[in-house]
Amino acid sequence: MSKNKIVTCIDAGSEYCPCYLAESDECITCSQLQGNSFCDCNWSGVCIYQEYAWCGMKKKTPREAIESEIIERKQIGDDVLVLRIGVSKTLARQLKQPGSYVFLRHPEKPMIFDVPMSIMAADAEKGEIAIAIHILGVKTKSLLACDDKILLKGPYWNGLIGYKDLKNVTNQNVLVIGRGIALAPAILAIQYLLHNKNKVTFIIDQGRTGSAFINESIAALEIDRHYLNLRSTGGLEKLNQILAEGTYSLVYSGGSDFLHEVIKDRLSRLGRPVKMVAINNHELCCGEGVCGSCTARTLNGQRVKMCKSQIDIEEMIEGGNCNG
Amino acid sequence: MADVVVIGGGWAGVAAAITAKKAGAHVTIIERMDILLGLGNVGGIMRNNGRFTAAEECALLGGGELFAVTDRASRHAGIDFPGHTHASLYDVCKVEPMVRELLQEMGIELRLRSRAVDVKKNNDKIEGITLYNGEIIEGDVFIETTGSTGPMGNCLKYGNGCAMCILRCPSFGPRVSLCQKAGVEDILGKRSDGSYGAFSGSCKLNKDSLSPSLVHELNEKGVVVLPVPSEDINLKKLEMKVCQQYALKEYAENIILLDTGHAKLMAPFYPLDKLRSIPGLENARYEDPYAGGVGNSVRYLSIAPRSNSMKVLGLDNMLCAGEKSGLFVGHTEAIVTGSLAGHNSVRLVKGMQLLELPVNLACGDLIAFANERIQTEEGLKTRYTFAGADYFQRMKDLDLYITDQTKLKAKIERMNLLNIFHEKLV
Repeated sequence: MSKNKIVTCIDAGSEYCPCYLAESDECITCSQLQGNSFCDCNWSGVCIYQEYAWCGMKKKTPREAIESEIIERKQIGDDVLVLRIGVSKTLARQLKQPGSYVFLRHPEKPMIFDVPMSIMAADAEKGEIAIAIHILGVKTKSLLACDDKILLKGPYWNGLIGYKDLKNVTNQNVLVIGRGIALAPAILAIQYLLHNKNKVTFIIDQGRTGSAFINESIAALEIDRHYLNLRSTGGLEKLNQILAEGTYSLVYSGGSDFLHEVIKDRLSRLGRPVKMVAINNHELCCGEGVCGSCTARTLNGQRVKMCKSQIDIEEMIEGGNCNG
Repeated sequence: MADVVVIGGGWAGVAAAITAKKAGAHVTIIERMDILLGLGNVGGIMRNNGRFTAAEECALLGGGELFAVTDRASRHAGIDFPGHTHASLYDVCKVEPMVRELLQEMGIELRLRSRAVDVKKNNDKIEGITLYNGEIIEGDVFIETTGSTGPMGNCLKYGNGCAMCILRCPSFGPRVSLCQKAGVEDILGKRSDGSYGAFSGSCKLNKDSLSPSLVHELNEKGVVVLPVPSEDINLKKLEMKVCQQYALKEYAENIILLDTGHAKLMAPFYPLDKLRSIPGLENARYEDPYAGGVGNSVRYLSIAPRSNSMKVLGLDNMLCAGEKSGLFVGHTEAIVTGSLAGHNSVRLVKGMQLLELPVNLACGDLIAFANERIQTEEGLKTRYTFAGADYFQRMKDLDLYITDQTKLKAKIERMNLLNIFHEKLV
């Protein structure tokens, strides 16, 4: 069986591929660009090595931080900030897919203040994105000082593990579970699922942030809603009931790795296969596979960079670090 | 019942499927493209030089079905061109459906557009082949005939990049070496300068783009020889070709076209502007979508170590054939090695001794000689074909080059091997 180090890279075949990793023989997908003398990729429809040669054996131009306009800022409760930011229509379009995120930074702060933030909504017609930020630490606190400008670097896409399954589900019942600030990226996923004619049930857990910041976004969506506290016995019982009664073919877990484990455990007891997709809680820092802060170990001990790598969800939950 | 799974539907895989089926197995061919024969869809040259002997031997051993098809599909038979005599040229536009029909009649299961990407293994035993979509095809014994050509990254690293050849990796996905996935490392062939791989040796021109008189000559005689302008003669180009039987001075000094349905240009690639400076080729273009002005597929990058019975060393139930099994060139070589691998696959399931072809047959000698030579640095730089280069000379030296069918039949009867591939074993 295959023992190679090839996993799927979310950026493979994109306008940002090949990247810094290719230049240092550390490509996630291409065996030639891992310093081997043979082809052994899992094929993403394009040949990364060919593209690299066409670029003169150099990476493509990486993403750069762009000063962007804050169209609207709303503080909701004590610690949630919702920003509506003006971006190019192209970037808004690129950020429409579930799992998209960007790095944000105060214009006067150095790069170490870059903080990854999931996209809650993207409007490709207007060229706008909306982001909900939980004010927690040094980086997010610095964003509170942004009045009308903010530095934004993107697009990045690896906010979801098991993205492929979410992409392929059509005309099915899907359960989306979100907790706290992770309710924000669930909105993009729900919109995508509805677009693919799925019937969506949304479990909303207020978590530490409350859920007021998504009210506007979900108001017009045709979905079933349940407000539960998944840290309570009653909430978990209700979750079990919803899972047992619904014929879900996919469950989306938007919460901490602890929530992922709870949900995975519940799914394993259903007696039928249900696919699972989960948000990526690893500590993304550079987004380019360079800094190593998001490195996780899979079940078989392989080290993967979670800012770019798509791996099996079981591998992440059981082998990865517990984050979030 | 024996379940035999053949991975790769080129000439070698198809031949293996036929002999495995005749030996009584249930046979499935897994092929990543939507057509069979792979590089056989661009070749076409049969029965030239020692290949005549090999084809006759293989037929007498009981593996004659595919040679009957290529004979039937031939546009020209018994033609000579520089360095080669009594060649047949099959029509590459007609042969694939004929082969497919034959396989279907025989009850061989075809799984097209089914790219194999991995193996399921228990110790050294292969339990199944994993397809691109996660499906696992299980079997008792497996025959890898995925070839050694491409994919795109290899064609780039060792060639001039993807030339959009018949293997169409961008559309159907790249070839995966299953033996390597099973932990048996590939052997890479070399060129005379020590670099890896070699270019496929011919490309195809659209016949309608040639001058009417040239087309007429090609259709009538099967071969056209046009002198190359002296300033364009490049003898170095011969070194990069896989087909050492065509790496002759005549092929650098002349444009040699063969009629295989398309006009087969006997050069790995040829810049279009230079080609168009030759009378008759003023409007020439390559057959779509092939970028013959730029490059060609690069081969010999994925060879499995094997025994002379075609069993892969280090794996209990995997055999190989065609280019996967050595530095072979050509359809005939693929069919011969494939036929032996298919027959032996059923012997392997039954626990019988595997058949080795005697070295006093050209087929047996080629298989054994190539295997012996691949161990050496020099041997890695050589190609093995009945059609020419060093091996054809060896055939002549060893008196293995026989074109008298009666004599060949008597020889194989004497060895008690007549129609052995017809024997039903399960």
